[in-house]
Amino acid sequence: MNDFIEPPYEAADAEINKKRELPLIWLLPLCALLVSGWLIYKTVSEKGPEIIINFPSADGLEVDKTKIKYLDVEIGKVTDIAINKDMKTIDVTAEMHKESSSYLTNSTQFWVVRPQIGLSGVTGLNTLMSGAYIAIKPEKGKRERHFKGLDIPPVLETNALGKKFVLETTNIGSMGPGTPISFHGINVGEVLDYELAKNADKIKLTVFVNAPYDQFIRTNTRFWIDSGIDLSAGADGFKLRTGPLSALLGGGIAFRTDPNDKAADIVPENTPFQLFDGYDQSTEVIYHRTVKVVMYFNESVRGLAIGAPVLLRGIPIGKVTGINLEIDVKTVDIEIPVLVEVEPDRIVMINKPANMTPKENIAHLVAKGLRAQLQTGSLLTGQLFVALDLFPQSKVVAHNNHTGYPEFPTTPSAMNQIMNSAQAVLDKISKLPLETMTSEINKTLTSLQGTSKAATKTLVTANGTLSTADKTLSSADKAMSSAQQVLTTLEPGSTTQYELNQLLQELTQTASSVKQLTNYLEEHPESLIRGKNEK
Amino acid sequence: MQGKANALMQGFIRCHDCGYLVKTADQLSACPRCDSHLHARRPNSLQRTAALLFSSFFLYIPANIFPIMNVNQFGAGDPHTIAGGIIELFNSGMVPIGLLVLVASILVPSLKLIGIGLLLLCVHFRWQINARKWTVMYRVIAFVGRWSMLDIFMISILVDLVNFGAVQIIAGPAATAFAAVVILTMFAAENFDPRLLWDNQQNL
Repeated sequence: MNDFIEPPYEAADAEINKKRELPLIWLLPLCALLVSGWLIYKTVSEKGPEIIINFPSADGLEVDKTKIKYLDVEIGKVTDIAINKDMKTIDVTAEMHKESSSYLTNSTQFWVVRPQIGLSGVTGLNTLMSGAYIAIKPEKGKRERHFKGLDIPPVLETNALGKKFVLETTNIGSMGPGTPISFHGINVGEVLDYELAKNADKIKLTVFVNAPYDQFIRTNTRFWIDSGIDLSAGADGFKLRTGPLSALLGGGIAFRTDPNDKAADIVPENTPFQLFDGYDQSTEVIYHRTVKVVMYFNESVRGLAIGAPVLLRGIPIGKVTGINLEIDVKTVDIEIPVLVEVEPDRIVMINKPANMTPKENIAHLVAKGLRAQLQTGSLLTGQLFVALDLFPQSKVVAHNNHTGYPEFPTTPSAMNQIMNSAQAVLDKISKLPLETMTSEINKTLTSLQGTSKAATKTLVTANGTLSTADKTLSSADKAMSSAQQVLTTLEPGSTTQYELNQLLQELTQTASSVKQLTNYLEEHPESLIRGKNEK
Repeated sequence: MQGKANALMQGFIRCHDCGYLVKTADQLSACPRCDSHLHARRPNSLQRTAALLFSSFFLYIPANIFPIMNVNQFGAGDPHTIAGGIIELFNSGMVPIGLLVLVASILVPSLKLIGIGLLLLCVHFRWQINARKWTVMYRVIAFVGRWSMLDIFMISILVDLVNFGAVQIIAGPAATAFAAVVILTMFAAENFDPRLLWDNQQNL
């Protein structure tokens, strides 16, 4: 029985198994270790830097759910939201992916993307379902881990290619960041920002034009406000120009390249341009050479505004730049010097002698009778403009000119001339001997009165005559009524008439008998003596 | 007394597959009835159990620190770890379900790992213990093993059921690790020969 206690093969069997099984079975924990080790290593190695972003509100942000995205690619996740120490803002702690650490710099911008509905479209609609996310605009710069989140998204979300330009205007209107810029109707850029110029006389708009189109911004490129409806009436009828629909609602800017500009005229970034108020204004040619003169009008300048045109036979050659009022305290003379800016380049000179300055030219024209005159531009509004024309008879009246600009002679306006003539007529009327005329008229009236009294007497007499006539008429009336009675007795059907008829018939018979007798007597006159010849 | 305590001491080996008793004196390496390999105790039981247990331990770490389930809602993921899911269940008032998940997914696997570890240590260091109670513990461990797959079953059902395009449930890396932990502990329990508990007892 003792043999059983030490089984001889047990140990041997075990030894064989040990040699065969030991490495194989221990591969399993090795694999498990490798797998879990790799998993942990991967997670740890992917773990990027932790950043803190300061936002004014945590609206829509959720711990472990809100993502940080760049170009819709997830690059981080919010891990904690806490109130900042100042108790006014919140600190969002976010865990970024490892590769994002290179662009987390001091100029990197963060903002929260929420659904937005504006005139230019609906953005962030997907966040309605998925919740808000934090967007990032990476920039190169110094390493930074604490950021200040933006309240509103930056206008340029991506580092798009293109150029920035500055537009100068005096009225911002409905434009603002995001206002589209179109080129022949193509949307090629937008307004980034605007600011008041340092001396507050104009507004500077910073605009961005996308890459392929920025080459069309050249020296003579014109920008104009392309919003709203532009209705103009011309000799060929009404013309309606409208901008794109979004520009109608939210304003827009358009630009046009001058056909004479070459590719060499492409301007560098941040070049300032003037922003015209409308398309028509932008088509006007700008003349840089101007001549300023002063005009004195001896009449009211009501309706004449700064910027009113100066027309030479209907063609604009300048504009009014200033209207002042001067009163001489001693003599109480009121003078209204009107400053006018004339662009001489608008006029094509023919037969112009060499070395003649514009001032000499003006003096020459004035000598020939060129005068300025105020004319009514619109009967409805009473707007005035300055018209230049030749009035050879008009005299040059010099004024006490303090302005320092050469004086340009004026002539009264047509309306003023009419007024003057009317005044003369009134003067003549006032000179008439009205009083003597009145007394004579008075006398005439008195005699007329006497005449009318005599006429009254005559009329009274006539009245008596008329009453006599009345009586006569009543007796006539009576006669008439008796006649009436006689006539009624003779009416048809009355006895008198019947009797009369009978009488008349008898008379007729008598007459015919008499006629027969007379005829017989004519033929046989002897019968008077012999009697009737009985045959 | 000790000499008569088991079959081996009395010169018998019981075939593991068909239960045929073979005399050790015959020095047979195969069962004469079913021709399976003859061995007095499971060969390398301790080694295999230990290896499987270590594997389970290694996988138990990622199973608990990584998300087991990712609820993908409108592109925004919402990953849950096992512990996080249980806390969320408790917070939303589903205490019974939370307890069930806690027992099935955390208590059972961890107690299983500890139990098998204790069994191994006991055999290796020849601790003098109440072998009867320890055998009961082994039986419980072997029986309860398959029931800790609850989480995995739930996730595999959810992944298929909740797939609307907008809302998706994706199994996380912890699900694989957790399933591996459960399977490996089951194998470990299977490989452990409870007779080893009795072999080392002096005071039977």
